[in-house]
Amino acid sequence: MRFTTDQQTLEDLNIFGKHGVDSIYALFNRTYTRGGAAILEDCFRYPLADVERINQRCGLIRYFAEAAVGFPFRPETFDQAELYLANADERTKLSAGEQSLMGKVSRLIAADSEYKTIYNGVVALVEILQILRRFVEGAGVRERPATGAGSGVDARSGAGLYRTEQEAIVALLAEPALQPLMLDDHKGKLSFENVAQYDTVLRFRHRDIIRRLLQHIYQLDMYISVAKVARDRGFSFAEALPKERHFIRLEGVYHPQVSSAVPNTLDITPDSNVIFLTGANMAGKSTFMKSLGIALFLGHAGLPVPAAKMVFSVRDAIYTTINLPDDLGMGASHFYAEVLRVKKMARELSLGKSLFVIFDELFRGTNVKDAYEATVALTTAFAGRRDSMFVISTHIIEAGEVLGERNPNISFVYLPTRLREGVPVYTYTLEKGVTADRHGMVIIQNEGILDILKNGKPKLTKNETV
Amino acid sequence: MSFSADKQTTDDLNLLGKYKPGSVYTLFNTVRTRGGERLLDELFRSPLSDHQAINARSDIFRYLSANPATFPFTGSEVSLVEDYVGMGGSSSGLVMAVQAGRLRLLETVVNDKRYGVIREGVGATVGFLRDCRDFIRRFDAAKAPDQLAAKAPDQLAAKAPALLAAKAPALLVAKWTAARAILDDRRLAGLPSQQEVGAMSWYRLAALHHLFVSVLQDSLTRLLEILYHFDLYIAVSRVAAEKGFSYAHALPEEDYIVQARDLRHPCLDKAVGNPVLLDRHRNVVFLTGANMAGKSTFMKSFGIALYLAHMGFPVAAKDMVFSVKDGIYTSINVPDNLSMGYSHFYAEVQRVKTIAESVGASQSLLVIFDELFKGTNVKDAYDATLAITAAFAEYRNCVFVISTHIIEVGEVLREKYDNIQFSFLPTVMEGRTPRYTYTLSEGITSDRHGMIIIEQEGILDIITGGGVHH
Repeated sequence: MRFTTDQQTLEDLNIFGKHGVDSIYALFNRTYTRGGAAILEDCFRYPLADVERINQRCGLIRYFAEAAVGFPFRPETFDQAELYLANADERTKLSAGEQSLMGKVSRLIAADSEYKTIYNGVVALVEILQILRRFVEGAGVRERPATGAGSGVDARSGAGLYRTEQEAIVALLAEPALQPLMLDDHKGKLSFENVAQYDTVLRFRHRDIIRRLLQHIYQLDMYISVAKVARDRGFSFAEALPKERHFIRLEGVYHPQVSSAVPNTLDITPDSNVIFLTGANMAGKSTFMKSLGIALFLGHAGLPVPAAKMVFSVRDAIYTTINLPDDLGMGASHFYAEVLRVKKMARELSLGKSLFVIFDELFRGTNVKDAYEATVALTTAFAGRRDSMFVISTHIIEAGEVLGERNPNISFVYLPTRLREGVPVYTYTLEKGVTADRHGMVIIQNEGILDILKNGKPKLTKNETV
Repeated sequence: MSFSADKQTTDDLNLLGKYKPGSVYTLFNTVRTRGGERLLDELFRSPLSDHQAINARSDIFRYLSANPATFPFTGSEVSLVEDYVGMGGSSSGLVMAVQAGRLRLLETVVNDKRYGVIREGVGATVGFLRDCRDFIRRFDAAKAPDQLAAKAPDQLAAKAPALLAAKAPALLVAKWTAARAILDDRRLAGLPSQQEVGAMSWYRLAALHHLFVSVLQDSLTRLLEILYHFDLYIAVSRVAAEKGFSYAHALPEEDYIVQARDLRHPCLDKAVGNPVLLDRHRNVVFLTGANMAGKSTFMKSFGIALYLAHMGFPVAAKDMVFSVKDGIYTSINVPDNLSMGYSHFYAEVQRVKTIAESVGASQSLLVIFDELFKGTNVKDAYDATLAITAAFAEYRNCVFVISTHIIEVGEVLREKYDNIQFSFLPTVMEGRTPRYTYTLSEGITSDRHGMIIIEQEGILDIITGGGVHH
């Protein structure tokens, strides 16, 4: 089964982002080649729900990060190679015997652009294949076993994981027809005869091999560039656990797009599978929830996560409701939109899926009293589903008191606000319990609204009306 | 000082906006001409604050509602004349005659289009002027029934019987007198018919062309402007007659009263009417009711009626009387501005602050607060709603409509203040289905339906697995 999510979640977490906005994908997209970018995008589009595959991808990236391997190719050679390979028309094939006088003359007088493309492509591919052989055979990979592995490469270590791919590449490169161009030490220009000979091999006879080799390189590009992002940003590598454990441990998780973000630590177990988050408005509830969502999403994509350490049981899906669009005009319909969103979660739960659900400001679209009742009822119902995980934030702190009495498996955390000389200061660090911060009246006092009214001069007061 | 309503208010009330479905502007926008639409825009953007000016304008609409007239032109006919007259031309008749002659020649020789444009413009203007005369003449009958009836008794009486009876308001009379003066210009006497223009020789056409776009350009532009006014007046008064709207009577500010019967939302067809009476002794309405019970609609109806009344426009109410106010402020759908770091609560606080500043600066306002302080906890919402309502209530020169679900606030206010009216919109439960009467009742209600909606969707059952039916 695939890991699922939906548009609302992708937008909430800013995974792909809108135009002109830096997204999480953009943050990772430091690939050298277009093919590498496409593979990375697939990782984002189709997160995994398979423990083995997640750990494998993650382990590979970790291996490249630890080995600090650089991308050995010149990126522009791939554009030339792709342009060249895109033309599979037999009629453009060069053949050595056909070196007519006309062709020679036309190349001499004016650069034949078609021949130029073929020539550049062949040269680029020769370079790529030679570098690739050196890379897979060289010290860069093979002779660098995982740290502490001693003799023999452990199949589960990073180097061991890459060995399969490495061997596949070696096998492909062993094709006899490729050997002449592998050894071609062309100082200066390739002759027309050589180009024609290589063209036949590369573009027609062994096109498939070349394509597969390029795909291996793009894969490698993704590993190396993501590993570099992880190294540069200090991301760590998550460990996936089987679903049945229903366990998440996040140490020092933070939002990758907030500068100097404060890290937080959180455990979710079947005995504390509902996280009830409170805190004042600017205390950082939404940012914390987004960082949770992003970490979980990246974890399922097998990519490095913005946390010090992360262990997680795979989920079937992740759903967030952080910025539910409220352009529906009326307050009642915003509430209804929230109800429908909750209903969608409920349906998924009823199918027996194990979800990770984030709800920010649950039922903010209605009055405080309805919101209070609905929050209590819904959170209680969620708490009964111990195979899923819920993170719910609310400003209705009164709901927390009731929920705590009824449900032992709700974990209460809050983001505190300290008042320093009447000005709120935020620590952004989770604490246990339900916040007692009520700053609504403080804000109103700070804005001086009541003073404005007290000191104003009504044209008509009570005395005059009598 | 003019009557003010800020962007948030006009958005909340959905007043403006040509392309917004269901806006009040769209409701009235049945004008035919571009100029009429421009005038409608202007009126919507600048409501009046002088009670005499308001009454003078509403008299025009009232008169035309009682004495329906038909605007005799289509929008394209008027546009044609407007564009043609706007062309302008040389002040010298000779120069223009030479030009016309040259174009006539070019038309014959190389099928040039420009002469045709002139011919069409002259034809349209001739027809327009004739129809204008007929149109204005009908109003003359109303102005001086005796004189004209004596001149052409049968014809006029048959054409506009209703007009003869009523006394027209002065503003309207001024408009058609001005139109009359332009049309009576002796240079416009003896105009040819439209067919004659088609067959006219180029030098006669050139003479008319010169007259219209050069000699009389200013007069004709003024005439068009008057026609736009008639277009607007007729369109608005017709909407009023069709929808059963009536006209409010404006009083000086010092009277401090807003009163109406059967107040309803103008854009809803089956809206239920409610009475309102706010004066210096009872200037605050404390409104309670369930989510769908119609609180917002009632508050919007009130805001819209007062806004339209200040424009001198027809209102969806009966017997409305109001003292002029300095403006309206509403807080119904305050958007949060998260990109600026404003939470919903903070956005509301900012809104209340803006309003408090205006109220504190001795303005007489209508203030509407719908469900204040949603984005906070229950206790803060209670404290804040109570403090804010109590502070505002001291301003007896303003009127307030405040809705909330926190009924405890109402209980406290009832003890302390004698100038607050308590109204609610009831819900009648028929089995498990709520029905709404939309009729204001006196008192406070604790009706809420958030949980009913959740239960109707069966969400809790689905989660606990009890209610899954496939």
